[in-house]
Amino acid sequence: MTATERLTISLLWVIGATVFVVLYGPALMVVLLSFFDITREGIDWGSFGFQWYGRLGDNPQMLAALGNTLLVGACAVVLATALALGLAYYMKTGARRGRAFVEFVIFLPFVLPAIITGISLLIAFRELGLERSLITVTIGHVVLILAIIYRMVTIRLDSLENSQIEASLDLGANGRQTFFHVVLPQLRSALVTSGLLAFTLSFDETLVTFFLVGGDATLPIRLWAMMRVGFTPEVNALVSIVLVVTITLAVLGAMSLKEAMARK
Amino acid sequence: MTDLSLATSGAGPMITGTPSPRRRQARRIVLRLAVYGLPALLILVPLATFLVYSFWITVDGQVVQTFTLANYIDFLAKPVYRGVFVGTLWLASIVAVTSLIFGYIIAYLVWRLEGRLRYLLLLLSVIPLAMNYIVKIYAMRSILGYNGFLNWLLVTVGLLEAPSKQFIFNQTAVMITMAVIYLPYAILPIFLSLERISPSLMAASADLGGRPGQTFRNVVLPLSLPGSIVGALFVMVLALGDYLTPQMVGGNQGFTFGRAIWSQFGMAFNWPFGAALAVVLLLSVVLIILAAAVISRHARVK
Repeated sequence: MTATERLTISLLWVIGATVFVVLYGPALMVVLLSFFDITREGIDWGSFGFQWYGRLGDNPQMLAALGNTLLVGACAVVLATALALGLAYYMKTGARRGRAFVEFVIFLPFVLPAIITGISLLIAFRELGLERSLITVTIGHVVLILAIIYRMVTIRLDSLENSQIEASLDLGANGRQTFFHVVLPQLRSALVTSGLLAFTLSFDETLVTFFLVGGDATLPIRLWAMMRVGFTPEVNALVSIVLVVTITLAVLGAMSLKEAMARK
Repeated sequence: MTDLSLATSGAGPMITGTPSPRRRQARRIVLRLAVYGLPALLILVPLATFLVYSFWITVDGQVVQTFTLANYIDFLAKPVYRGVFVGTLWLASIVAVTSLIFGYIIAYLVWRLEGRLRYLLLLLSVIPLAMNYIVKIYAMRSILGYNGFLNWLLVTVGLLEAPSKQFIFNQTAVMITMAVIYLPYAILPIFLSLERISPSLMAASADLGGRPGQTFRNVVLPLSLPGSIVGALFVMVLALGDYLTPQMVGGNQGFTFGRAIWSQFGMAFNWPFGAALAVVLLLSVVLIILAAAVISRHARVK
């Protein structure tokens, strides 16, 4: 390496480090501020403690929003997994007509801007006479996460030998037995990984949810409403918890993804 | 008596074991309906309804189901909406270019590393994707705001006499916030396009006497650029459709097309017109995705 090249790389590292500071700085600052009181003069550095986290428990609205988010996420993941599993298995067993088209349709909500998906569902629900509620939010999340689960299940299914399924059928098992005893056990890690990632997505989803949410808010919607009122350390505390939960989920998902890929 | 019971019990399993052809046929039809019908019902039908809606109009707050191009003509006739549309395209392009440049730098640095550090830094550049979107906007607001960190810093250092209102509630604030929020979406695709470069090509370049700088310019950059541009176009799509960032940090000046659409479903309450605006957005997104598809196909042929 020449001196100029070495200098260029060092310069790039300085830029890179700055970018990382910009990416993480804001979030870290919110976490830091959640431990202090904020007065008119600024931050009261003497007030370090978990007092704002304690106050969170007294806020029933926030706890309800958290409960709603968890409920929606769990239901959406279960429904989308069942649907994706059925679809992927159906497409795998036999040359199915329109496979490319079905996959194109499933991937649409993933590619299109969230605002388009949100508006489409909003209008469709209104035409169907379905009131906005947690049910409409759940359906919206199913539509969004279906693609991820389908993709990961398909990748795993494609790596399975067709001969395993054929052998099972030859030995007298029917289609259902083959699915539950031969195929499903081998899909477990793919299902866990995609379920985790899908749940993380659902937990954070805001731009589609905004169009579908009724009286019962999910956590991001509640946060948005609280932010409009103003900045309180309580918001900082809640935001910190949300950050820790989502990052933990995502890291778990990434780790099991790495494991699943290593095993393959 | 015994004969009869034997006969029935013998026939029982046979029936359940191999269902009659008619029942199997029925089951197959139900299955096919579910497989093709559910995605259609969940995704295609709403999209179709939305497209149809854009051709209806609102009269006195009521949706009238008549086929008309009035909404589209309205959009083209009103300079306000055209201006906002062009402005938002420009904004999204800047965000995309910014994420291409900085995303490339990060991805390139991580790609050059080896072992655990490489995996760790890759994870670090992807984790912001899992940070809540509202939280990120909120954090940016507490940096750029009137009582924010940036003002505090500048006043403390002495660069400013009093906190400035210039950093938030304008188009620049929207741009900066979007660039920060959407940058991580570009890093991963760029990294993957660097990963696809065969190590033997780099070795060949080095064997032929190419210095690292030359290898980068003549081998790495040309091979990874198409995939990187596709990543940047993805960021552009995200920035185009965003309506909450402009609302939270843009104030009155930071009005974008996404916000214009959103307001039709909120305060303005003109859903058909909002749907028409969303169709305009959809068309531009489709064009961007087509461009990305052409670029990645072109790169693969090479």
